[in-house]
Amino acid sequence: MDYRVNLAARMLANKRGSLIGAVLAVSIGILVIHVNFVIFQGIYDAIIRDMTDYRFGDIFVSHEEEATIERSHVVYTNWFERVPLVQSATPRLSGSADIEFRSMGEFHEEYDVPVVGVEPVSDIQASKIHTTISDGQYVYARNSIVVGETVAEDLGGVRVGDNLKLIMTNQGGEENSKRFVVTGISKTAGGQGFDTSVIVHIDTLRSLVDRPNESNSIFVKLNEKNPAAALEIRKQFLAAYANDDLKAQTIEEAAEATLKGFRSGIAMINLIGYFGMGSSAFAIVTIQMMLVNSKTREIGVMRAIGAKRKDILMVFILQGMIIGAIGAGAGTGIGLAYTTYAKETNMQFQGSLALEVNYNWSKIAETALLAFFLAILAAIYPSYRATKLQPVEAMRNV
Amino acid sequence: MSDIVLELQNVSRIFGEGDTQVKALDDVSFKIKRGEFVLIVGSSGSGKSTLLNMIGLLDKPTFGKVILDGKETTTLKDGQVSQYRNEKLGFVFQFANLLPDLTVLENVMLPQQIQGISEDIRQNATDLLIKVGLEDQINKRSNKISGGQAQRAAIARGLVNRPTVVLADEPTGNLDSVTAGKVVKLAKTMAKELNQTFIIVTHDKHQFPDVDRIITIKDGKSYEEENTMEITV
Ligand SMILES: Nc1ncnc2c1ncn2[C@@H]1O[C@H](COP(=O)(O)OP(=O)(O)OP(=O)(O)O)[C@@H](O)[C@H]1O
Ligand SMILES: [Mg+2]
Repeated sequence: MDYRVNLAARMLANKRGSLIGAVLAVSIGILVIHVNFVIFQGIYDAIIRDMTDYRFGDIFVSHEEEATIERSHVVYTNWFERVPLVQSATPRLSGSADIEFRSMGEFHEEYDVPVVGVEPVSDIQASKIHTTISDGQYVYARNSIVVGETVAEDLGGVRVGDNLKLIMTNQGGEENSKRFVVTGISKTAGGQGFDTSVIVHIDTLRSLVDRPNESNSIFVKLNEKNPAAALEIRKQFLAAYANDDLKAQTIEEAAEATLKGFRSGIAMINLIGYFGMGSSAFAIVTIQMMLVNSKTREIGVMRAIGAKRKDILMVFILQGMIIGAIGAGAGTGIGLAYTTYAKETNMQFQGSLALEVNYNWSKIAETALLAFFLAILAAIYPSYRATKLQPVEAMRNV
Repeated sequence: MSDIVLELQNVSRIFGEGDTQVKALDDVSFKIKRGEFVLIVGSSGSGKSTLLNMIGLLDKPTFGKVILDGKETTTLKDGQVSQYRNEKLGFVFQFANLLPDLTVLENVMLPQQIQGISEDIRQNATDLLIKVGLEDQINKRSNKISGGQAQRAAIARGLVNRPTVVLADEPTGNLDSVTAGKVVKLAKTMAKELNQTFIIVTHDKHQFPDVDRIITIKDGKSYEEENTMEITV
């Protein structure tokens, strides 16, 4: 082994406190970035996941200009369902209603509650909103209604089996009303579902607003997450119905408005993480300066017996590399342990949405490498200072 | 090859400036031949260490020349000076100054490693350690041996590159008189066996009987006290 490597390693091994301090600084810097990634990228991906599952699917078709698609959805859903990669396609229609509820003699009323019309059979295939029913079951009959938990509370505590009256205004401005039986209460962690809406059968909603056969959107679900396939299927779909003035968005496009602000938030948090790493570099500078200052006589001796400035430089830069390597290894190891823990336990915070945890290997490698090089960079100044020590230091008789 | 291994020509070393100026060495000249065992003596503050630092290329004279192995050294660059120190000089310090992070053997191997030699370095170092009587201490950490043992190891380290001159500044200054006596004896045995030039600074010349020459320093000037060889050319 090269004597400089040997010396660098021995010096560190014999200054265990300094070594541990510097390694901790590096690994904590990495850990902060891992934890940030798990939490904030996890929330971001969880929002995409929930929006895909509940609101948009992998491809979301709507009219380019109008609020509704007049042509029967059957044409489109049939087209999609012939594509092997597509699991299911389902129409949705939305509107808003005033809701009246009477319970134990008390009268409750809510205005302009969003109403989502679904086709239960295909919706269960395409969307996961039916899994959010915390009590009761999903829409199954023309007069059944699923009430979002927030709405249920606002109406004074709606329960399964209760009766509700919905009053809606049709295209001509006339009011239509209908009584429903509550079959389920829907609740999602994080609220990306329909907690503030009610869900009814699409045909019931169509007749209430006098829009037979119409829908707002087609929700398309692929067999598995596959953004490239989504883009290709979308392209073919738009080509097949080029004259229908339709718009088809991937989940990333459909959710863009929600996600945009979030992304800059993540960028900000990452920046803070990198600042953390930067300050760990300063910790290394300080620790290594102390090491250099405690080794002035040894450095003088080495110089006296012929070590060149660049040999001294090398010894201390090598220490930076050792610190960086151990720190990057330890930090990445602990970071991965945390990530695995978060993934296996479906980590969530106080009942909010469960994080969608993924291993981003390129980012993990990038972070480790960055920390490693930062440690070397941090070693440059102390190492340079060490080369400035004079060989006469060895002669000091104190 | 000339017999003169070291020559100082009108060397002066001045520290500081103006009123606080100290002339630590004042126009010192002498020559030293191969194999000589030389003592530099003088009272405290007389300039002995300063002189040794000049010879050891650890510091440069304000005026004058230091010629080592026929080469004028005061104009050399830092890297060349380091190489000269490594190849032509051996150092023995007052406090042994072994590197505490390394073993005794590694300390003795170090000058060869710095030189970039890779062959037989372990063997050379081991041989020398046996010669100085440290065969039992070879693999100990160098801060785990006694002062006398450390000074023996330091002598081995000073000798391992077969330098032109071995320099020692108060090598016994930190040892009790019995141990000091042993170290002195070792140095003299080595000098004789290897025909090795030694220059030793001491304030106690009685510790070193029968040396070839004694140079006395007083107020920065040198005087040849006991002159057994011709020094003026
Ligand atoms: N780096 C320096 N800066 C200023 N003055 C110095 C320096 N080094 C030595 N001196 C001065 O030069 C003079 C000679 O010092 P030197 O260390 O050579 O003495 P010495 O003979 O080795 O003494 P001692 O026996 O105490 O070791 C002293 O007056 C000392 O104060
Ligand atoms: Mg001195």
